[in-house]
Amino acid sequence: MSLKSLLNNGPKVINIGMERFYSDLREQEVETVMVDWKPPLGGKELLGKLRKIRGDSVG
Amino acid sequence: MKRVEVFRGEYYDSVTLMLVAKELKKIEGVADATLNMATQANLHIMAYASFPVDSIAASPDDLIIGIDCSDDLWPSVLEKAKTYLVSPPWKSREVSTEYNPKSLEGALSVLPEANLALISLPGRYAAAQASRALERGLNVMLYSDNVSLEEEIRLKTLAKEKGLLVMGPDCGTAVISGKGLGFSNVCPIGPVGIVSASGTGLQEVMVQLNRLGVGVKHGLGTGGRDVKSSVGGISSLAAIDALKDDSEISVIVAIGKPPSPEVRQKITDSLKSSGKHAVACFMGESARSDEPGLRYTTGLEECAVVTASLVRGEDPQLARERLWNDYREVETRGRREGAGISGRFLRGLFSGGTLCYEAAQVAGELLGEVYGNAPLREELKLPDSLDPIENSFIDYGEDEFTQGRLHPMIDPSFRASQLKIQAEDPSVAVVLLDIVLGYGSAANPSEEIVKAINSIDRKNGPLFVAYVCGTEGDPQVYGRQIDLLRKAGVYLFESNRRAAIFAAAAVAGKEKR
Repeated sequence: MSLKSLLNNGPKVINIGMERFYSDLREQEVETVMVDWKPPLGGKELLGKLRKIRGDSVG
Repeated sequence: MKRVEVFRGEYYDSVTLMLVAKELKKIEGVADATLNMATQANLHIMAYASFPVDSIAASPDDLIIGIDCSDDLWPSVLEKAKTYLVSPPWKSREVSTEYNPKSLEGALSVLPEANLALISLPGRYAAAQASRALERGLNVMLYSDNVSLEEEIRLKTLAKEKGLLVMGPDCGTAVISGKGLGFSNVCPIGPVGIVSASGTGLQEVMVQLNRLGVGVKHGLGTGGRDVKSSVGGISSLAAIDALKDDSEISVIVAIGKPPSPEVRQKITDSLKSSGKHAVACFMGESARSDEPGLRYTTGLEECAVVTASLVRGEDPQLARERLWNDYREVETRGRREGAGISGRFLRGLFSGGTLCYEAAQVAGELLGEVYGNAPLREELKLPDSLDPIENSFIDYGEDEFTQGRLHPMIDPSFRASQLKIQAEDPSVAVVLLDIVLGYGSAANPSEEIVKAINSIDRKNGPLFVAYVCGTEGDPQVYGRQIDLLRKAGVYLFESNRRAAIFAAAAVAGKEKR
């Protein structure tokens, strides 16, 4: 979809982030989808979760 | 007693954190509650509010909860916070029962005809999502700030190759075919197309055009850095080209702080060859003569007035002269009203970056040096934005206040708390405010401001001056906001520049006596 098609056809939006922007678009009857985004796991948290899974499976 | 608790690796968006804090403050015995992602800026603000964060080792990926309540109450309030975070009671039934895909790709399978990704994630995650969106053929509006310059250049170069537009980073406002994205006011569609490197600059011009009965079809944001030589105006130039091709647009407007010289040249060349009327508003530049096909303006209201006269086929110069007359009258009135007030200094407490910049410029012309956290010149930068001196302007939408925290246009509570502190300072004579309405903004922004004004403990308090940037069609309704402020004794003006002239003249008038 080019910039031209965006300006000619009006916005059809994928919203990633604040839900407020999604609700505002819905209120204006703009077609939109909200992505339920979560930050990628990394570092300590990932290790913690992996250990937990391993612990659970080993018992 | 103020206590804090850190939750490692727990991420929540700033709206959720604000709403949970509001719920906790309703509990009897809770004097204060604040939930933040533990960025350095947030820890600084919490320390300033006397929460014990000095010995806390936390990263921006950690959640920190601060509550001011008795020791007995603490465990139950903390438990309540955790419950609200997991299942927010205010979450609209519509959204919670809808299918929300977990990824951009999932969203595209639901809405394959999507043509824009609106991204408002924390800066460190935003560029990767923007990149993915461009790869899949979507234009991007990048609300997020804290995206590096290198990433911005990479994204915009990719967009150019694909015939797409990246609005941002730090792009808060856009309007496409009359539909507002991010922070935007409800205005009619009309024959004007705007390219703006400034969010509240775009809002102010649209609102002023609306007052003059002129509508806007597209208002495309670019992000403030786009017009710097490092980025080269990639988005600005692409947006101007697209507006040129739109047969329903008769006037093209470009708004922002002055671009780097070579970018400025490219932008003005493109505007002059558009075959349509064009208006440039490079704020802070000295006034310069119009050129064939291009009118120059230096203020946002002037930009709207000139644009409206071009739409109507009237003489822009006459419109300008009427405006200068109005400004002279506002200044005279300001000098008169300021004569009897106590205190010596002006404090501008803003939520809109460009509104703050414009007002600080006006104040600088009337009062000399004006300090700030985003000052006109680097040597006027405040050492601590929480501790302004003399004549100062603070933009609470600056990065230092918005990392892991809501923008003050969405959550006015932090600015309201600072307003109380500033207004109680006996050296402050005038407090100048902007209140920005529209989609994206708080449901009733004036309410918290008025509450703060009414709670001020000071004999012969300062003069409060405000501009409400909004329309009757906005969800907050302009007339309702004006009524609330007027009842609290706030002086109100019809444009940001008029409010700034009045406020600065009131302080200047006082100085002479």
